[in-house]
Formats: sequence, C-alpha cells, structure tokens
Amino acid sequence: MNIRCFPRKFSSALPPLVPLQLPSPMETHLWYILPNEVKSVALLNQYSELLSPCERENVNRMGGDQLKKRALLARALVRTTIARYQTNCQMNPRSLKFRKNIYGKPEVEWKNDDNFSPPPLHFNISHTSSMIACGVTVNVPIGIDVEGKQRKIKNDIIAFAQRYFSPCEVKLLTAISDSEIQRQEFIKLWTLKEAYVKALGKGFSAVPFKTFTIRFKASTIRCFHLPGNSVSEASEVIVESSDDPKNLPNNWQFALLEVAASHYVAICTEKDKIVGGEANRPMKLTVRKTIPFVEDVCVSGTDAVLVLGGIIEQ
Amino acid sequence: MASLTGVSLKLTPLSSSFKPTQVPFLGVSNVNSVSFPSLTMRPGSFRIRISCAAKPETVDKVCKIVRKQLALPADSSVTGESQFAALGADSLDTVEIVMGLEEEFGITLEEESAQSISTVQDAADLIEKLLEKKGA
Repeated sequence: MNIRCFPRKFSSALPPLVPLQLPSPMETHLWYILPNEVKSVALLNQYSELLSPCERENVNRMGGDQLKKRALLARALVRTTIARYQTNCQMNPRSLKFRKNIYGKPEVEWKNDDNFSPPPLHFNISHTSSMIACGVTVNVPIGIDVEGKQRKIKNDIIAFAQRYFSPCEVKLLTAISDSEIQRQEFIKLWTLKEAYVKALGKGFSAVPFKTFTIRFKASTIRCFHLPGNSVSEASEVIVESSDDPKNLPNNWQFALLEVAASHYVAICTEKDKIVGGEANRPMKLTVRKTIPFVEDVCVSGTDAVLVLGGIIEQ
Repeated sequence: MASLTGVSLKLTPLSSSFKPTQVPFLGVSNVNSVSFPSLTMRPGSFRIRISCAAKPETVDKVCKIVRKQLALPADSSVTGESQFAALGADSLDTVEIVMGLEEEFGITLEEESAQSISTVQDAADLIEKLLEKKGA
C-alpha cells in the first residue's frame, strides 16, 4: 500500500458525521480506531483531505507506510470526533483549527465570532501501533494514554521503575514475583501516570513521574441508580505526592480499562467543582469504536471494555 | 528553541550527510527544508561550529540504541537528523531510549533536557555536553 498524503483538487462526497450531544459534566466520551481495520486506500485518501497542509506534511514526514497511516488516522480521529459535537453550528472537520497551549498541549482554536460561543470541550489523544484513541470531556481537562497489553519493555522493569517511578511504586512492583504480571502492572501504572501528566497539561518535565504515586484503593460506593441502593466494592485510583503522601490532590479522577482485550487505556479527568456532590461520584463513561464516516459502535458495557480501576458508570 | 545547539543543528547535518559511512536517505526526506544553497555542495570541511556538534561515534551509538528500542528493520534509515517521533517512538519508547543512553554513556539526563530532544543529533549533542562536564 503506497500511502502518500496529497491535497485533492476536487472533494469526493463523504457521508455526514452523525451529530452528537456534548458529554455532560462528569462524563467522558472515549473514541478509538483500530488501524488494522482500516484498509481502504480510498478511505485513507478521504481522511487526508480533512487535514491541514501542515498536518499532511507531518504525516508525510513519518518513516514508512504504517507510521504514516497511524499519523493520518490520529488526525482524522481528532477532527472527526470534535466535529461530531454539533453545538449551535455545523462543524466541518476540515475547517477546525488547532494550536498548542504554552506548555505544548494541543487544543482547539475556536473562531472568534460575535455570534459564536465556543463549546467548553476538552480532548486528548493517544496512540500505539494498534490503537488510536481520543477522549472528550466538557469543562474539565482530560488526559488519556493507550498501551498494548503485550508490549515488551526493553529495559529491566525494576531498574526502569527505580529511575522514573516513585519509591512507593517501586516497592509495589518489586513485590510482584511473576514477571508477566509485573510487566502488566508496570504498563498499567505507566498509562495512569501518563494520563495524569497529560491531563495536567504542563508537560513531562513539570511533573516528573517520580514526584507522585498512583495506587489503587479499595472503595465502597453506593450505587443509587441500581435497585435497592446497592453498595458495591470498587477499586478507586488515587494520586498522591511522593514527598507528602497526606497531601492528596483529590480533584482528579481516573479510569483504567482493558479495551478490545488488547490494550490498557488510562483516563484522567479533573473533577467538576461546579457539579460537586458526594466525594466518590462515578465517572460516567461512553466508549465507542469508530471508523469515521463508515461506522460507529458503542461498546460500553460489553466485553470490549473491562474496568480494571476507577469508579466508573457505563 | 533559541539555544546555540538549536542553531548548529540546522547546519551540521548538511555536512554530515556527505560522510561515506552515512546511509543515504531512503524514501521521504525528513530534513526540514532549510535552504542554504552555498552550503549544500560543500563536503565535511564547511561546518559552522557555534557549539560543538557531537562526534560521529556518539551519533552512531545513539542510532544503535534507537534502532534496538524501536526494533527497526536493518534497511531503515536512522541518521543524526532522524526525528524520534518520525521513527515511530512514543512516550514510553522515548523514555526507554533515554534510559538506554544513560546506561551506555554513564550520565543522567534531566527531564527538562530529555523533553527537548527531538532528533538523534539532539541526543548526541546533549550527551557529549554532559560527558564534557563530567570530565571537567
């Protein structure tokens, strides 16, 4: 497959994107593409028409067809996902503009119109060779990270953890005797730490991994929406400062998922202060697998989404 | 980045691409199109040294570590101006590469400097700077 991004003089008709309501406060929408499922060169060319010239240039700079395809799908996913959330106007994926904040975190540059009030939409993307994902929230920042479950670590895991993780996390990983389970727990921890740093949006160096600990805490929550106000055991993911464990930044909530039986996905969002309410409010989550313009499948509550950590309501 | 190392990066790759040991570019060029017509035709002798660019051996060692981490096929091109992102390195790969470099060269790279490395040459230059400091 010879993939090269080039601007087309004519635009072929693409079916419209199915419009959606924005996520509600405390709700996260997760969209993902499995690149192996996108095989049509015609479709990839249509995606490339959505990109800005700068984005197309970046795609062409990638080494090899697979990397080009991945970069192309990542941009197509971001543009089409954001364009779905019709607010008071029809958003064209092609016309969206992006910029980076002062720390380098990508954000939408909404047009500065008198009649147009930009939606309070936040997004973050992550990709590995076999999955590209985009998370969307309103009002609050979001960070996500995706890693393949089978990913092999080239360095020694404990040496890596000693170099980059907090002492508490090193202790936890060292205590795992099974090397395969240790590898899996390492990757889960990595995705959670990445998601947190990306949610904070200040870059890797502003919040070095060593300065905070992420761990699981057993938590009992009351599920008001289930019959009989049932209480269920859930595993909450918390973050604490390495130096000052009692100082818990508790305005962040996490989700750790196993998606499509093949990837760990970590999501971190800020708790919405305006909504407030009880301390352990679940994160409402809707997960959709997509091939933009071809199909969208809601996979929440199916086998495709396994909750490994966090208080989640699907 | 308005650093001296940043300025030297634009110029040295042009001369290093004429070294006989370098693999010629295959496929899409990932050199930013900066046109210095008077420099392109000059072999290695013309080099504006605003800051010391890394030795070829250092660049080669970095290339080797990058290849190993990213499991790149033997025929893929990895040179000084290869960008980590363009080679397919994600954040975990980058951190693993940094760790590999730290072990190979016996240095410690701070997060800030690790974040500013985007090409193989960046990494090699930073490594040599740290080695120099160590040796001093």
